[in-house]
Amino acid sequence: MKDIMRVKCLLSEEVETLINQQIKKEAHSSSIYLSMASWCNRNGYDFSADYFFKQAEEERQHQLKFFKYVLDMGGNAVSPDVTNIKQEYNSFREVFEEALEQEISVTQSIKNIAARCHKEQDYVTLEFLNWFFREQREEEYKARRAVELFDVIGEEGTGRWQIDKHVGQISYDSEA
Amino acid sequence: MQKTKELSFPVASFEEVFATNSGAIFQSDSEKCWYIDFAGKLARFDYRNLLKLKKAIYNVNIEEKLLSSDKTADVEIIFICACDHSYVLSLLELIKLKELLQGTFVMLDLNHIIYDRLFRVIS
Repeated sequence: MKDIMRVKCLLSEEVETLINQQIKKEAHSSSIYLSMASWCNRNGYDFSADYFFKQAEEERQHQLKFFKYVLDMGGNAVSPDVTNIKQEYNSFREVFEEALEQEISVTQSIKNIAARCHKEQDYVTLEFLNWFFREQREEEYKARRAVELFDVIGEEGTGRWQIDKHVGQISYDSEA
Repeated sequence: MQKTKELSFPVASFEEVFATNSGAIFQSDSEKCWYIDFAGKLARFDYRNLLKLKKAIYNVNIEEKLLSSDKTADVEIIFICACDHSYVLSLLELIKLKELLQGTFVMLDLNHIIYDRLFRVIS
């Protein structure tokens, strides 16, 4: 009896489900960043709005990367529903704190997929995930640095104006 | 004594994957599909449709249906998009089909493991 299941698809059902969850998570992330961009723009933080627009676009690219991987491996990629996007924030600082929280949760969830891949020796997907791990290093770094600006510069006086100006300049260029 | 020549017919070969008292699932290697003998009919499912059927059946909350005291018919319609077959099943049949599918997927997993261990290793 032929192993038709394997011939048709490289991914196990569990890994496919996990990646589909990740696709949803990335889509959700992208929408949250868009809502953050909107909030920043409405409140006069132009540079931060640009920063979040860029982040939204990046998350969308990540989503598509996962999406295409599932399809390329013969699986079924599911276009996700995105609901419950928070539209209002209490403060400028809260926006960045939640952005960092968002990145941490994305990293954790990719680690979770990797753990499953290790368990079933799916080295192909594991290798695919490596790109995302490098990417998450940068994403978390940028988000963390942004939150730190609030302590370094301080919010008093023209502090928030200064923070907004510096957010766009955060870059990660580690070669390690 | 002369050996009788074996007769060969061009028959699509089926292999039983899993069977219960209420039905059976066969695999056809040449057609790359499965035949489900259940509820009085033999239905052909390709790879995508078999997975869709599995999803449809697994998604029915049997426990909730058992506990429900609604005055509605105890019937579930399993309709699969872009598939020639559909099932209209009573709750008992649904449980039986689920059992049949569960067994089948365990067997297919097992077949995958056997393939990996026996045929795909470098000897």
